[in-house]
Amino acid sequence: MIRVTDLVKSHGTTPILRGVGLTVNVGEVTVLVGPSGGGKSTLLRCINGLETIDAGTVTAFGHTLHGTRGQPHPTAALLGLRRAVGMVFQQFHLFPHMSALGNVMAGQVHALGVPKAQAEATARELLARVGLADKANHTPAQLSGGQQQRVAIARTLAVSPRAILFDEPTSALDPVMAREVLAVIRDLAARGQTMVVVTHDMDLAREATVAHKMVAGRIVSSGRPSDVLAE
Amino acid sequence: MKTSPQKTRLRTATLVAVLFSLTAPPARAQELPPFRWGTDPTGGAPFNYQDAAGKPTGFEYELAGYLAAKLGRTPVMVAGDWSKLPEQLNKPAGVEKGVDVILNGYELRADLAAKYGVSRAYYAYRVALIVRTDQTVIRDWADLDGQRVGVLGGTVANDYLVRHHPGAKVQTNEDVANVVQLVADKRLAATVQDNPAATHFLKEFPTLKLAGEPVKAGYYVIYFRRADVELGRQLDAAIAAGLRDGTFRRIYAKYGLWNADQDELVGLLDQPWPPADLAAPAEAGNVWRRLLPQLFDAAGVTLMLAFGSFPLAMALGLLVAVGRVYGPRPLRVPLGVYVEVIRGTPLLLQLYAIFYMLPVFAERLIPGAAGYFTPFACGILGLALNYSAYEAENYRAGLLAVPRGQLEAALALGMSPGTAIRRIVVPQAVRLVIPPVTNDFIALFKDTSVCSVILITELTRKYNELYNFNRDLIVELVFLTAGLYLCMSYPLALLAGFLERRYATTGGRS
Ligand SMILES: Nc1ncnc2c1ncn2[C@@H]1O[C@H](COP(=O)(O)OP(=O)(O)O)[C@@H](O)[C@H]1O
Ligand SMILES: [Mg+2]
Repeated sequence: MIRVTDLVKSHGTTPILRGVGLTVNVGEVTVLVGPSGGGKSTLLRCINGLETIDAGTVTAFGHTLHGTRGQPHPTAALLGLRRAVGMVFQQFHLFPHMSALGNVMAGQVHALGVPKAQAEATARELLARVGLADKANHTPAQLSGGQQQRVAIARTLAVSPRAILFDEPTSALDPVMAREVLAVIRDLAARGQTMVVVTHDMDLAREATVAHKMVAGRIVSSGRPSDVLAE
Repeated sequence: MKTSPQKTRLRTATLVAVLFSLTAPPARAQELPPFRWGTDPTGGAPFNYQDAAGKPTGFEYELAGYLAAKLGRTPVMVAGDWSKLPEQLNKPAGVEKGVDVILNGYELRADLAAKYGVSRAYYAYRVALIVRTDQTVIRDWADLDGQRVGVLGGTVANDYLVRHHPGAKVQTNEDVANVVQLVADKRLAATVQDNPAATHFLKEFPTLKLAGEPVKAGYYVIYFRRADVELGRQLDAAIAAGLRDGTFRRIYAKYGLWNADQDELVGLLDQPWPPADLAAPAEAGNVWRRLLPQLFDAAGVTLMLAFGSFPLAMALGLLVAVGRVYGPRPLRVPLGVYVEVIRGTPLLLQLYAIFYMLPVFAERLIPGAAGYFTPFACGILGLALNYSAYEAENYRAGLLAVPRGQLEAALALGMSPGTAIRRIVVPQAVRLVIPPVTNDFIALFKDTSVCSVILITELTRKYNELYNFNRDLIVELVFLTAGLYLCMSYPLALLAGFLERRYATTGGRS
């Protein structure tokens, strides 16, 4: 379970998050919607410890980050939290100097210390699951955007996070490629993967368990997706 | 035969003309041009130096004054780099830094005599073997096998050692004072010097002594243009008069240089000159068989210096760059200072500091440590440190060019910051800066030649040495040396191109 309480975050003197509270239950799909600039990405980054926070707390699966008035979090807390919570980025951020297979192995080998042979077996399995078994030896530059994002999802799955944060996973893709990625995300949801998804895709949002709408650094409404989206 | 009594010395790459007159010129001097004599004043005592009061003196300085007076001309000293003095005669005397003669411990040599006019001998010299008083290993010339022996590059002493004691590890330097100091500091086993310089240094360094008897080596002569037949006749007449009337004896005795060898010079005055048995220049085929292996060996030293130092420079530079980009503030500041200090001072000075200064401190801390500061080790260290600053800047630019999302993606996978930097960011940064880094490697190849100042005979140094004894082969030697450099650096350029293409597709995008 992920619980965010009274989260305050500013960049310089500009407040970005003005007291956000949020609970994500295991096995649920949570979507964050709202206008651009509302603070959705910042919230995800705070949950993953990629941002310092001014006040409030983020707790995920027993690991807690406290508001530190902008000071860096303790490394141990960050490591524990990030091993529980994975993240998929809008711009994929695949490692360009590695093959697709290498990307999916990287977290297992370099973060979890899984032996290479075992990591490779897992990686191949996951690439197959996202429909890219035949692209294992391609470099990111040789893959389409949709394929890159599917590799990125496999890469995150490979370190078995308890929850995965998706920040507009299809926004950088054309509709055809977006559909490939959405299919993968739906498959994960069907398997009971805990997820927080920032999206502008209304169809995906409607399928979620809960939806939260963020405007100007605050959650302005929460509830059943159909209700929240209707506003 | 060059020393500077004051420890401050300037490199002699450029010519510095120093003008002064000796005595009031005779009336006739008004009509005659000045007597311009070329010398290297950094050579120092007892040839030509400044006394405690800063007044120029030395036995050759007095000799030039005597000769000019005999010729009825005003002496004008023209300073130049010792090894390049004969070239001064290839230009007319009237031009800037032009000379009429060169007079600076130049020995009678077949190759020079073939090209220039040569005067009668004014001094018969020997080469002397100098060692420390507290050592017993080297008692005579025969004990030089395997010993590190320093000499002034391109001198007869240099040639004598190579020919007669091939077992000795000869290390050449352009500054005699350095070599003698290194012997005193136990960093060289011995040095071979002309007896005038040896006499001077034994006075200055009480911890040094002669080993074995000095060996007769040849004659100092004055060189002039072949066309100046009349000048040559006048010089010979003046030398003959000086030898016969005791003027030379008086001058030499003043510097402790008079000995029985000089008496023979008078007898030689009746013999044909230069002597008929002066070795004819060796025939070309033989020369190359002797020169080529030496050039190749020196090219090997250049290769070892470059390949020994650059990987170290890359490793050190990368560490510095990572520290500067990701380290805490207390680390970033000193690393920034390190880079600026090293980039802001000349490599030459750094090599001097490492080779001449560091061992002194090291020896004070740990007795015996100075022995580890061999020329080669110091050369590698100096090049590595110097280039590490430039590589640090290359890698820093590379690290900053890797998109921030790469680090975040790695952290999000649960990697520790150190692992994320090492496994994800650094490999991309290194690939991004392949072009400037290989560029630096090619530049370092050429900078290895600076190591000659710390007694390393690499390719450029060897070229200089060989050129000194084979001045007719200048064209061949220049092209051969340049060719060797190209043969070494061009494959590097090809490799750089290959690496760039190989990694272009996997560069740090997205
Ligand atoms: N590094 C930053 N420095 C300053 N302002 C930022 C930074 N990152 C985001 N912001 C600002 O924070 C606000 C929220 O951004 P973001 O979280 O990306 O919103 P959303 O994802 O909902 O579009 C925006 O106004 C944005 O300009
Ligand atoms: Mg966003």
